[in-house]
Amino acid sequence: MHPELSFEQAPPIDVPFRFFLTAPLFGIAAGVLLALAGGDMLASRWTPAALAGTHLLVVGFMLQAMCGALLQFVPVAAGGNIWRPRLVATIVHPLLIVATILLATAFLSQRPMLFIGAAHGFALALGLLGIVVGVALWHTPARGPTIVALRIALVALVVTLALGIALATGIARNAEWPLLALTDLHAAWGLGGWALVLLAGVSYFVVPMFQLTPAYPAWLARGLPLALLGLLVAWSVQFAIAENSGTQGFFVGGLGVSSLFAATTLHLQHRRRRKVGDTTLLFFRTAMLALLVIFVSVLAFLALPDLRLDPRAAVWLGMLALVGVFVSAINGMLYKIVPFLNWLHLQKLCGLQALPPTMHQMIPERSMRRQFQLHLAALILLLAAVWLPVLARPAGLLFAVSCAWLGWNLLGAVNVYLRFRNRIRAGVADHRS
Amino acid sequence: MPDDLLKPPQLVVDGREMQPPEPLEKTLEGLDQLQAGAELLLLVYCHPVPLFNILRNNGYVWREDVLEDGTHEIRIRRA
Repeated sequence: MHPELSFEQAPPIDVPFRFFLTAPLFGIAAGVLLALAGGDMLASRWTPAALAGTHLLVVGFMLQAMCGALLQFVPVAAGGNIWRPRLVATIVHPLLIVATILLATAFLSQRPMLFIGAAHGFALALGLLGIVVGVALWHTPARGPTIVALRIALVALVVTLALGIALATGIARNAEWPLLALTDLHAAWGLGGWALVLLAGVSYFVVPMFQLTPAYPAWLARGLPLALLGLLVAWSVQFAIAENSGTQGFFVGGLGVSSLFAATTLHLQHRRRRKVGDTTLLFFRTAMLALLVIFVSVLAFLALPDLRLDPRAAVWLGMLALVGVFVSAINGMLYKIVPFLNWLHLQKLCGLQALPPTMHQMIPERSMRRQFQLHLAALILLLAAVWLPVLARPAGLLFAVSCAWLGWNLLGAVNVYLRFRNRIRAGVADHRS
Repeated sequence: MPDDLLKPPQLVVDGREMQPPEPLEKTLEGLDQLQAGAELLLLVYCHPVPLFNILRNNGYVWREDVLEDGTHEIRIRRA
């Protein structure tokens, strides 16, 4: 059974859409950066280009899409009342864009002022978003594992932000802080706390609803966010006591818990009531398989110390996490959310006077399927490029083209929305002509 | 049992194996064809709040029953 949705509280459609349409642009930028920088970029996670590319993906692609989803999802699925969503979006969206560009440029140019500028931009944007969404989530009368997950994800976002600001300040001032260990902690809170817990919380809702699967088991839905939070807190305490020593157990434990989520999602999808595959399902399966491959890879690295000490091992895990898990999941979700929002907003506009175009008419299934194939090819090539640097340029180019195609498909859906909305306003809308 | 519940519905939309918003789309299409006094039966696994808002705003009434397997039986007709 699905939880209830309350579209009466939905924000204006331009609120989530501005974030959704921006995300692919940063994916293109990350791909182009790799195509220009070549194989050297992937030699280690610490190269300036790798750090710039990583942040183009995590704050440019992922955070943009996730902020848009949060502003839509919290009022509709969590019953939270977001304060003036359009005003919040109008402030947060451009700030995030500027801060992301500053941060990527800071890594590439190593100019201290750019790090400080980016830190201020993120602090303002995410500070405002955190307060507004936090108030909504803490005042909602709704209960259940999705609410718990969203609250934990938001706390993790704030911790990630604080650690990111500390890192930016430390780099800019050349401070003698344990920056490498702090970076691990920053990445753990960002990917394991914010991104994964948010993905899980949203999945509890949208996987059964859109993919017609049974519900997630209650023990997993409740336990996963709490277990990840517990591990992250324990990791942070250990870091405060002894920096990076003894934190490996938390990393492996967190991945083990995450793998349970991935395996359960795949199992639920296997048991879905209608065995019709759609593109979102394919993206989601790719994401969950990538999450499992990360866990298997880490176990292999533990067994093979020579491999673990190779700097490319961390790049391999990062590529799997960012492109394999999160870009795949977000790409697939966007293909469901954008047409769905289009339809609901158009339906609300025209009442029973006319029927809006169907979901399938918003973005052609064939175009989504082709873009998925391109994304999959890009992911495989990117993973291969970690070990075969000669493949880095074509992999970057392929990924950029895949993101451009995603953006094109989303723009097509927006055009369908605008055309039909204008027809309704002109009073000439008829039945699905 | 009221008489109107004994009458078979003229139109049935089984939305239990459809992806959202397909059940809503089919229901609205069905309502378009529904003759005066006739009834549409919608079967879904949720409490479709967006549909109820549309029905309320467009002069329809409905009755909802939840079956043991979680199916929501919603019988809709003109007010």
